[in-house]
Amino acid sequence: MTDLSATVGVVWKQESARIVAGLLRLVHDVGLAEELAQDAVVAALQQWPVTGIPDNPGAWLTTTAKRRAVDHIRRSRTRERLAPDLARAPEPTGDDVLRLMFTSCHPVLPTEARVALTLRVVAGLSPAEIARAFLVSEQVIGQRIAAAKRTLAEAGVAYQPSAQLSSVLEVVYLIFNEGYAATSGSDLIRADLCLEALRLGRMLAVLAPDQAEVHGLVALMEIQQSRSAARTGPAGEPIPLHEQNRGRWDQLLIRRGFAAMLRAREAGGPIGPYVLQAAIAVCHVAEDTDWVRISALYQTLERLLPTPVVRLNRAVAVAFAHGPQAGLDLLDELRADPQMADYHLLPGVRGDLLVRLGHPTQARHELQRAASLARNTAERDFLLRRAAALDVPEEPGRLLGPAVAEFLAPRSPATARAYGQTLHRIARLAGERTPLADLTPTRLTEIVALSWPDVSPRTWNRHVAAIRSFTAWSGDPSLAATLRPRPLPTADPGGPASGPGRGAAAMSDRPAAGGASGAPALRERVLWCLLRESAAKVGAVLALNVEDLDLDDRSARDKTIVWRSGTARLLPELIAGRTRGPLFLSERRPGPGRPPAAADLCPETGRRRLSYERAAYLCKRMTGHTLDRLRAV
Amino acid sequence: MRYLMMQKAGGAEPDARLYADMAAFVEELTASGVLLATGGLDPAGFKMTSVGDEITVTDGPFTEAKEAIAGFALIEVRSREEAIELGRRFRTIVGDGESMIHQVYGP
Repeated sequence: MTDLSATVGVVWKQESARIVAGLLRLVHDVGLAEELAQDAVVAALQQWPVTGIPDNPGAWLTTTAKRRAVDHIRRSRTRERLAPDLARAPEPTGDDVLRLMFTSCHPVLPTEARVALTLRVVAGLSPAEIARAFLVSEQVIGQRIAAAKRTLAEAGVAYQPSAQLSSVLEVVYLIFNEGYAATSGSDLIRADLCLEALRLGRMLAVLAPDQAEVHGLVALMEIQQSRSAARTGPAGEPIPLHEQNRGRWDQLLIRRGFAAMLRAREAGGPIGPYVLQAAIAVCHVAEDTDWVRISALYQTLERLLPTPVVRLNRAVAVAFAHGPQAGLDLLDELRADPQMADYHLLPGVRGDLLVRLGHPTQARHELQRAASLARNTAERDFLLRRAAALDVPEEPGRLLGPAVAEFLAPRSPATARAYGQTLHRIARLAGERTPLADLTPTRLTEIVALSWPDVSPRTWNRHVAAIRSFTAWSGDPSLAATLRPRPLPTADPGGPASGPGRGAAAMSDRPAAGGASGAPALRERVLWCLLRESAAKVGAVLALNVEDLDLDDRSARDKTIVWRSGTARLLPELIAGRTRGPLFLSERRPGPGRPPAAADLCPETGRRRLSYERAAYLCKRMTGHTLDRLRAV
Repeated sequence: MRYLMMQKAGGAEPDARLYADMAAFVEELTASGVLLATGGLDPAGFKMTSVGDEITVTDGPFTEAKEAIAGFALIEVRSREEAIELGRRFRTIVGDGESMIHQVYGP
């Protein structure tokens, strides 16, 4: 005999999508629909021990939940005449479930919320189960789901089948990939996500049978899932597709994938990205892989989805179809893509192609670099083993990683930390085991540009200084010859950005804070001048808002703060057209973690009010005096 | 996880109502992505025995009619409890009788 509460839980999982979907038609609010359905579950837990489990428990829950919904509507509106119609509301249909999926995948929600809400209301998983699968706390998932329901209710989108099918497909595939990207071993729970996504996809294929992309997605997932047993070795190391033991592929899932592909073809319509990816997956199942056809399919896919990963896969296909050099040429174009800078598969694939081209020394270097970027130990060990298997002598001369360590060792801790941030990143991206002699100025410039595309000139110059200092030490200063410092902006927050280069955009919305060198920035000069001339308390001055000021009268806040000509000369420049909000602003916009009070946030620039601590620090650093001392001078 | 559900023969003679109910049940399981494969089995079958190098093939039937496996369904569910619940619903449709359910090891 089984535990009754376990049975109720199971029935809920199997039926919740239909039940919630049917209720959604009545109450138009996902959160409320789910609450009413849960009420029915509670009723089941009370009644089934007495009456026994009904023959069709799902139908029982549906009817009970519907009655609760009708009661609820009767109570909340007093429009009695509507009630008889509601009582006769039809059984939930496939359309209802489809509408529920569109709602939970609605684009007004952030992606994470779409995933969590879909797993909750469509797949019937508990917040604890979702949390375990995504390796976050249950509380986080609970909050995410609650916020999603609130957003949907506020946006009033719960009952419009308005979202795009592509958004639903995206969420399902995201869930699948979340499970698929985790390798086996201790991650068995995450593998469940693949099955959950498959279940959602199969459901969707029945609900929207005339959509080719739905069948394409199902085909893609079935075929990818068919390889799950073969894609990792005994120690959890990844096995490349063409080296997998085909005997371990799940033929049942492959056949189901093929069947879904046929249905996609029958549905017709323009070919979308999922059908294309499934077509590629189908090619890989064939005994002799047709690489020419795969590379052609990737070319079409790249037009629809020009992502770096698709381009990388295309390069692999081209290398198999038209030779390693052709693939390598495509890869070289990808090296300048910032999204690929940290992606271990790029050097991994380069390494493979270099082996096939007969350049084992370079290949080993690329494989080692890939290993240093790999995200899990199984993959890292695998890459290192492949690198070690290449029979080439150890490179002579100094290697980048050890050289950086040697360079940093004698520095003071503060310098080593500051320089280390820059140099370790470069060593990581270039490969720790790159011989220094192999590093060219072009490659160095490329890595620096990839690493710090949008930094302020000050930060840029810090990185450049660290690199120059290192190259000078290593005996080859010409390496960094093309890396030039950028001019710092003038201390004029209102004026146009003057610095050239890519840092200019980031700089223009940031007033110069006045560094250790040069004159203090405008903001500090106004603050100190105002403190001296008014002798007001520091807190009161920092609390000033633009709308408090009477520039003509040289006073603020009902004449409690009065200033003289020095401040009056500088003030208009500092205000620079602003009409409200804090007068003294901090350099940065607040991060999402600690939102300031509304009164401390400038509505025009989005920056927060300058804090007492920061003002005190700046003053101390620049003048050696405290702010209070300034006031008294 | 996958379960192989095997139905023994016997029970009430199928009528039109049973066929309709079963069709609806199968359709529901297919739609929710649970049912991977299903089929009926010839009650007779044949047996292969090996002793050393010698293989003997004997034609069936071997068991009483109501002990023979008459059909199977391969389902993919999230837990043993789900398999039990689906088995329960199947049994309420077909009436008295016996099912054997084994988890399929593997992916």
